Amino acid sequence: MLVAIFAIWESISLTGLVSSNELPALHDVILALIQLAATPFFLAHVGQSFANVTTGVSLALLLVFPLALLVGMRSQLDQAITPIIMLVGALPDLAILTVLVSVIGRGNVAAVTISAFSAFFPVYFTIRQGVKEIPADYFHVASVFKAGRAQTFTKMILPSIFPNLVTGLRLSFEFSWNVLLAVEVIASVAGIGTFISTSIGGSVHSLTYGLAAIMTVGMITIAMDRAVFERFENRIRRWR
Amino acid sequence: MHVELSNVTKVYEDPPQIVTALKDISFHVNEGEFLCIVGPSGCGKSTLLRMIAGLDRPSSGQIRFRGDLLTAPHSKISMVFQSFALLPWRTVIQNVEFGLEVQGRPKKERAEVAMDLLEMVGLKGSENLFPKQLSGGMKQRVGIARALAIDPEVVLMDEAFSAIDEFTAEALRAEVAEIHNETKKTFLLVTHNLPEAIELADRILVLSSRPAKVKSIVGVEMERPRIQTDSEFVSIHRDIFALLKGELENSIMRHRLSGLKEFKKLRDMEEG
Repeated sequence: MLVAIFAIWESISLTGLVSSNELPALHDVILALIQLAATPFFLAHVGQSFANVTTGVSLALLLVFPLALLVGMRSQLDQAITPIIMLVGALPDLAILTVLVSVIGRGNVAAVTISAFSAFFPVYFTIRQGVKEIPADYFHVASVFKAGRAQTFTKMILPSIFPNLVTGLRLSFEFSWNVLLAVEVIASVAGIGTFISTSIGGSVHSLTYGLAAIMTVGMITIAMDRAVFERFENRIRRWR
Repeated sequence: MHVELSNVTKVYEDPPQIVTALKDISFHVNEGEFLCIVGPSGCGKSTLLRMIAGLDRPSSGQIRFRGDLLTAPHSKISMVFQSFALLPWRTVIQNVEFGLEVQGRPKKERAEVAMDLLEMVGLKGSENLFPKQLSGGMKQRVGIARALAIDPEVVLMDEAFSAIDEFTAEALRAEVAEIHNETKKTFLLVTHNLPEAIELADRILVLSSRPAKVKSIVGVEMERPRIQTDSEFVSIHRDIFALLKGELENSIMRHRLSGLKEFKKLRDMEEG
């Protein structure tokens, strides 16, 4: 599929249907990509973006995980808290960012906060759902065999919700990357987004570099999926 | 007396409704005895078993194990579940080892105990399979091995054969009877299947419909293995069925009167 898209893209630019100012040829973008890969300045931007997303997702996980567990186990708490969470989650990330920037100023703190904010939702809902779906008999098994609180958590609850955790984190990364590029521009922090906006606004070849940078984001997401999430999912598939 | 219940009552409160599920239940189980509990569906017999397991507390009355008051799960009381309740991410042997692992026993000991039990229930060679790869009968064999792994004195079985096809259940019952005979452990089986109770039990406790009371305790003194077509088997079946039939009609009438919705709510409360 991807190969077909690339083939169409390349042939469009080769036949000159669209001028290279509007759509640079694929081979130019790939060349730019190779060039960028050898540029420490660009790599620093990529590293910064990656660090912001990872920090944001980790922060979201840390804060939301205990809450989602609690809410999953106590339906009264769930009824009290989840509507609020849904309300907050419905607020557009970027609107909040603008407010946040005007309150705490531009910078990495604002960028990471929004990254965490957009990552928070999938983790909350997938884990909450996972806990709710644990069969009552699993809890009975833990009790009958006299597992303590800690053991019930590590030997029963955690493995039960592990598939949900993987799905939640996968979505979180996706959500977080989606807003990050815009976040970087608004919060004026280093990153791929900032790199793209400055390169597209600049010289004649800037669109080529911009597209190369966007492809970098795609490649990072795919690499993350392959290296981390798909491995987990394969393990889960063995027993599920 | 190994397990003794005195005046156990269970009341569910969900204001404005107050429902008495079990009323003044008193009976005892002797050491090494196989006691079956039968009663109309929804009468609270599973609740009774769950209370002995320490998963639920009586509203009033007492449950004693070897004379000591039971208020929480006991390390010598184990349970087999209708739903099997195997942990799907654990292999067969890991499931059997669960109780010992929780107790912190060394790995080698755990594996030895588990392998012996798996051999006993005929699952040698399947120890590294996951539950999803097993049939219902095999799953319950794992459930039985898991329950026995902690070397319990009392094995509670909650409708343990009800989710298995009849042919497999038949074979499994024979195996459980043999395990009981060999280990001399105390067994308590809750079932709605009367022939199953007669096949396995030393005594059968018959409960009335809600609020459940002890209707009768029937001793079964037939030789084992017991054949369903034997005249003694048939006559015991007829007697208990007559006891239950009246109760069944009672409970059906009441459910109709109080409306199906309420009945469902009751059942949900009990299951939850």
